[in-house]
This record gives sequence, C-alpha cells and structure tokens, in this order.
Amino acid sequence: MPNKLARSIVSLLASGMVVAGVLTGCAELQQVAEGVARQTGGEQAAGLVRGGSSLASGLLPIGFEEEQSIGAALALQVLARYNGVYDQPELTRYVNLVGRAVALTSDRPNIEYHFAILNHDSINAFATPAGYVFITKGILKQIHNEAELAVVLGHEISHISEKHILEVMQRSKQLAGISEAGLAATGQNPAVFKGLMDQVTKKLLDEGLDQNKELDADRIGVIFAARVGYDPNASVVLLQRLRTLKGDDQAFFKTHPNFSSRIEEAQKGLRTLKQPLTGALLAGRFTQRLQGRL
Amino acid sequence: MKTGRRCMLSSLTWLVCLGLLVSVAYAETVYVQAKSAQLRSGKTSLSPTTVTVQFGEALEKLRQEEDWLEVRTSGGVTGWIFANKTTTTKPSGGDSGLAKLGQSVRQSEATPVTASTGARGLDKVSEEYANRTGIPKQYQATVDRMTAYRLADQDVEAFLKEGRLGEYAK
Repeated sequence: MPNKLARSIVSLLASGMVVAGVLTGCAELQQVAEGVARQTGGEQAAGLVRGGSSLASGLLPIGFEEEQSIGAALALQVLARYNGVYDQPELTRYVNLVGRAVALTSDRPNIEYHFAILNHDSINAFATPAGYVFITKGILKQIHNEAELAVVLGHEISHISEKHILEVMQRSKQLAGISEAGLAATGQNPAVFKGLMDQVTKKLLDEGLDQNKELDADRIGVIFAARVGYDPNASVVLLQRLRTLKGDDQAFFKTHPNFSSRIEEAQKGLRTLKQPLTGALLAGRFTQRLQGRL
Repeated sequence: MKTGRRCMLSSLTWLVCLGLLVSVAYAETVYVQAKSAQLRSGKTSLSPTTVTVQFGEALEKLRQEEDWLEVRTSGGVTGWIFANKTTTTKPSGGDSGLAKLGQSVRQSEATPVTASTGARGLDKVSEEYANRTGIPKQYQATVDRMTAYRLADQDVEAFLKEGRLGEYAK
C-alpha cells in the first residue's frame, strides 16, 4: 500500500511537470516527467502523467526556499560554462559594493544579492533566481565608469526582482505545477529537478529570455541605478559603445535584443524617468578601483 | 449675546472639524522604497537620525523641499527622508499576490534575518544536482563562497557617502 501511494504521489508530481511542459512548450520536460513516472509506476503511471494537464491550476507558486535551490543550480551552470570566477578580492568587493547599493533600493531589497566576476572575455552578464549576479571580465573591460557598472548590475538585479526566470517556468499558472513538482522532486526525485534545470539553463544561457523581458530589464535597471544617484544616461552611452564595438550582430549577442533596439527603448525610458536625468558617473573611482586588476 | 457667542463657537468647531477632514482626505501616503532608510531631523544627510524605517513602511507626506520629503510615521515620529527612497505606490517586494499566498502558506520568503544567516549556497537539492550533472567541486565551492560573502549595510552606506551619491550628493 505505501508503495502504491508513493507511486501515485510521484505520478501526480510528474503530472505537474508535464503540465508545465505542455504550457511552456517544453517537450523534453514532459518526457522527463513521463520517464520518471514510467520508472516508478510503469506505463500506467506514465499515461497518468500524459493526461494530467488539469493538475496545475490548484497548486501554489514557488517560495524562496525553492527559488534558492533553482538559483544555486543555475549559478553552477553559469560558472561551469563561463570558466568560473575571476579571483580578485578587491575587484570583487568593489562590484559587490556597487551591486549592493543598487540592490538596496531595488524593487526587491529584502533578499541577499551575491555578485561575482566571471573569468571570461565575452561581453555578458547573468542573473539567476534568489540573488546571484555574474558579470564577465569582458564587459568590465568595456565599462568606463561606475554609473555604467551600476546600470549593468541594475539590469541583472531587475531580472531577479521581476522574477523573469521564474516566470519563464511559470507562464501564468504553470508556476504551480513546476513548483510543487520541483519541491517534491527535489527530495524524492532529483531526476525531475535535473530535467527542469536543464530546460531553464538552455533558456537562460543559449536561447535567452523573451526580448521584452530584456528590454524591461534595461528600463528597470536604469531606474534602480538612478535611485542610488547614478547618471541614468550611462545605459545609452554604454549600449552605443558596445554597438560600435560589436555591431548589431545577433549571433554575438544572441541572448539579448540587438543594440539598436535596446538603445531606442532605453532612450524612450529616459523620457519617462521620474528621477533627474543627471547624476554621478564616478569615472575616477571606477578607474582607480580597476587599475591593474583586470 | 450668549446665543451669538455659542453660534460662533459652534461654527468654529465645525470649521476645525472640516479642516481636519480635508487634511485627512488630502494626506498623501508614500512608502519606503529601500531595504531601510533614515528619517532625519533636517533635510540633509548630516542631520541626526530620528528613526529608521523599513522597506514598504507607509509614511504620511507632510511636505517636499527639493530632494527631501518631510514625513510622519504611523507611530507619530516626524522627520525628513531622501525622496529617492520613497515611492507613491505600495511596493510588493517583487512578489505578486499569488506568490504571497504561497509564501504565507510555506513561510519561505527570505526575511532579512534568514537571508543574512543562511550562509550556505548549495542546499541538499542543488548539491545533488551538481553531483548528478558532474559540475566540478570547485564551482560548488564558488557558489558557497558567493553566498557566504557579506557586506554590512553600513559598508554600503559608507561607500555611497564616499561617492557623494544620493542623499550624500549635497
């Protein structure tokens, strides 16, 4: 009897996964869920999973504990893909100070944020849920002042405060399905969790988030930086510099919209900004803190 | 004569009541849009702190002068707060109503205390994931180090002051 009960639970949880998979169009995720059910409950259970599309609606969203598991797992993937961290304590402290300053006046200041420099020459930055933010050595080399660093970090912080990655997993009510499945699968079935993380890693690191979410993150990141007192124009200036350097090559920046779209949207955002269009650049402090450290 | 005085007194009372009602109706509420913020006795960052207010706390706006708002807390303490640390809409902290429902059931959203004391990056779930995925131990240690890395809010405040940012600009 307990065995039967356990099978039913796994089947139900896997159903939650498959609902999420159906709604997000993740065929592989459904296969993972079906596979899990098949292994534990046989073909009948796998069939239950395939037909379990009504399960998600009554379940609950992701809590911070699960968000931490997801965030840490994705952070591992970022580190593995981007050659780990650039071990420079003074520079790491500086990035953390700027990042923390922006995070403290963000729309989600009540969680801890963790900032690290990736030992990679590509121009990129990443955020994973629960407050993990990564910036490459490559993009740091293109930044000219603290305000530009603040808007880059603000962009990433906004992905976390707006829960963009969790939203990818959620898409309206799917969050519940993934949450409950993920929650139970974490303790009982790591294969389900791994299947889920593989999907999200692909979305985050290979395909990129929806372009609208990236443009939103640009706009909100500028607001966060401006609240601290940084010059909000820094965003447009940095994007223009990167476009000059790299052009609008979508393959290069495949996880983000092209620079021209981002510049156009950033300029629109500045016109509706509540904060003053002036602020600090702090080029001197930035140069001083980076000198000889990159 | 007495009737006239009584009538005047009554009118005055009504006027005072009306005034109070109008002021209540027009009292503007702002909310703290920062992890915490200081209310100061004057509109400069050098003025002494009267009270520290927390993220999302409602404050009654009394007046604005340049970048500073004079406000009153629900406990009746008045002081000046840097305007950039306030918002006119109640902040959700990045959580929708649905997410809040989930939190209230699980009580799992990080409070400042749990967030700052939960020093380990990888929990059982993500550690198991790392092992299953074959992610090298060095990266597991990195996530642990990242999570354990702490900066006191006072350090950030000193950093802002040094850069003459926000309320320290003038």
